[in-house]
Amino acid sequence: MTGNEKVASCPVCEAPVLAGDIYCEACGHPMGAPTCASCGAGAVDAEGYCERCGLRQPTGRDHAETVLDNGAAAVTDRGLRRSRNEDAMALMASGDTIVAVVCDGVGSSPRADEASAVAVETAATALARGASQQEAFDLAGRAVAKLATSVYDAPACTYVAAVVEPDRITLGWAGDTRAYSLPDGGLLTEDDAIETGEITAWLGADAEGVTLHVRTFTPHAPGLLLVCSDGLWRYLDGYAFPSAGTPLEMAREMLRHALDSGGQDNVTIALIPLGEARE
Amino acid sequence: MSDQPAFTLNIDQNKYLPLDGREVHAILTVGSTGGVTTQVVSSEAAEVIIVDTSGSMSGGKIREARQAAATAVRTLRDGVLFAVIAGTEKAGMVYPGGSPRLVKATAATKAEAERAIGRLLAHGGTAIGEWLNLAGHMLAAHPSAIKHALLMTDGQNNESDDVFSSVLAGWSGRFVVDSLGVGDDWVPAELRKVADAMLGTFDFVRNQTDLSEYFRRLTQTSMSKTVAELSLRVWVPQTARLKFVKQVSPTLLDLTGKRADVNPLTGDYPTGSWGAEEREYHVCVEVPPGQIGQEIRAGWVKLVRPDTGDVVASGNVLAQWTDDLAQSTRINGKVAHYTGQAELHELIQDGLSARAVGDVDTATARLARARELAAETGREDTARLLEKVVEVDPATGTARLRRNVDKADEIELDTGSVRTSRLRKEGF
Repeated sequence: MTGNEKVASCPVCEAPVLAGDIYCEACGHPMGAPTCASCGAGAVDAEGYCERCGLRQPTGRDHAETVLDNGAAAVTDRGLRRSRNEDAMALMASGDTIVAVVCDGVGSSPRADEASAVAVETAATALARGASQQEAFDLAGRAVAKLATSVYDAPACTYVAAVVEPDRITLGWAGDTRAYSLPDGGLLTEDDAIETGEITAWLGADAEGVTLHVRTFTPHAPGLLLVCSDGLWRYLDGYAFPSAGTPLEMAREMLRHALDSGGQDNVTIALIPLGEARE
Repeated sequence: MSDQPAFTLNIDQNKYLPLDGREVHAILTVGSTGGVTTQVVSSEAAEVIIVDTSGSMSGGKIREARQAAATAVRTLRDGVLFAVIAGTEKAGMVYPGGSPRLVKATAATKAEAERAIGRLLAHGGTAIGEWLNLAGHMLAAHPSAIKHALLMTDGQNNESDDVFSSVLAGWSGRFVVDSLGVGDDWVPAELRKVADAMLGTFDFVRNQTDLSEYFRRLTQTSMSKTVAELSLRVWVPQTARLKFVKQVSPTLLDLTGKRADVNPLTGDYPTGSWGAEEREYHVCVEVPPGQIGQEIRAGWVKLVRPDTGDVVASGNVLAQWTDDLAQSTRINGKVAHYTGQAELHELIQDGLSARAVGDVDTATARLARARELAAETGREDTARLLEKVVEVDPATGTARLRRNVDKADEIELDTGSVRTSRLRKEGF
């Protein structure tokens, strides 16, 4: 090092460091780490915490949007009250079939975000290659169960999957993630839950005797299939669904409604055009 | 290396804070397991045995002390470096003779040491700082060893507070001292200072005939240590403040003032040497105000070997703000348990100090509350000792100090109050 090099300060301990230094000589902090979303220090470590202010950093899951060629769209958001998004979603096209899967991590279980992510990924992949609802659900259930180290350390999530073909829709679900038909707002699923709201079915190593509900029907009128987590549907009482705009714009508007209503939980919304609305 | 113990660090806490919540409490359980056998010794061990031979030790006491020191020597594992010191107003070498140094324990050196111990006589004053100075100098010649001293005294230290305190500060964290008080003429506060500074224990030997057994047990425990030094390395965010770091089990030991800065956000707290054992620490961090849903790492704790910088275990203390009262008001059982134990210790210490200076009202209030708390938390031994100091009228609830308190009972209450009970498993 020569005396002419530009001097900066370490983002963690503020000791002077020279341009080109790989580590801070005072505290050993590696230079060039990602920047913290809260305090701005270049000090985010591999575990996702800022080494200066401690903030757990937002991840790509905090807000994500997906849009397919036919207009089908999905958004997921952390909401306002949770530190991370434990909902997960998949929206994909396979030929003229659209597959949507939404899972909501059970908040009282450990690593619920991993449970929903692996369930969605496993089930959506299976459904897209033509697997039955039951087969996809079983695969997802086994994948989630594998995350557990014991029944006392069992990540868990709820589940809803929609397979939308030109003349047929099949829904499969367990737990309290839901599907609705729009514009009428008719509920297409029945929650596995008791009166006080606790769910009675979920995917996870500690789930016992959970059976998948399957429903198959033909759409009669143009409209949209809404698949969502409770972060949206808890705020649907008296809500008038948006009636104009693209599915993505409508999904964003519904998300805004959930956040404006308190955003207590993670929110996931998928909208799939049905009948003549399909292009 | 396979002969090194594996360390585990578990963190018990409720991470949820109310919106105005600033204090994060966590109990760290550090366990050293597996791989440790007494046959496989990875570090050199060094032991100095210090026997008070001041005038007050004359008669039966010096005979028991000789016996105890001999037992300690016999308990030494062959190959361990050792020396025996006789303490008066000076520190004198008992074994080996001549210049201060440690020698290897063999059948022959142990036999010679026992013969030298057999010739010890009681005379002169008491200067515990002098004794520790000599022990420290001999141990410092073996930097990589697990360094330990065993100290026995029956009397009051004649050194000035300043001298004693500066000796303790100078050697603090550089070797571990376990001390024993014998009889009822010693001052628990002095040995408490030794234990606090030297990361050791101190205990009351009520019957001098039990002294040998105490020496044997402490020497054996010291011989089972296989890792010389470990530090708790604690990081807190720049905007937070580390309020305290305390060992809470098996005994209470405040480490807060023993911090060595690693960098502005990180400090090392010494924990001494380790064998196969489990200890618990209580960490309290004051964090800046946060927003609903925000999660921060309020503390990042690592167990490190200061000699190599190796991290042997680590964990996160987390904080997350919520407006859900059910979440934020849930109290972690372990945190509550050790907070109660610390409160009991403080009540007893405050009560005994107040009693010593004649502040009867304060002493009565503190000791009566301590008795209540001891009974509530299942500390039956402590409750029984407290009953010997303070009595409560069962009909009126009125407490009063007992007039004639056995000195030994008081010392036992005083010394015993640093020991904590473990939380029973079903309490989780």
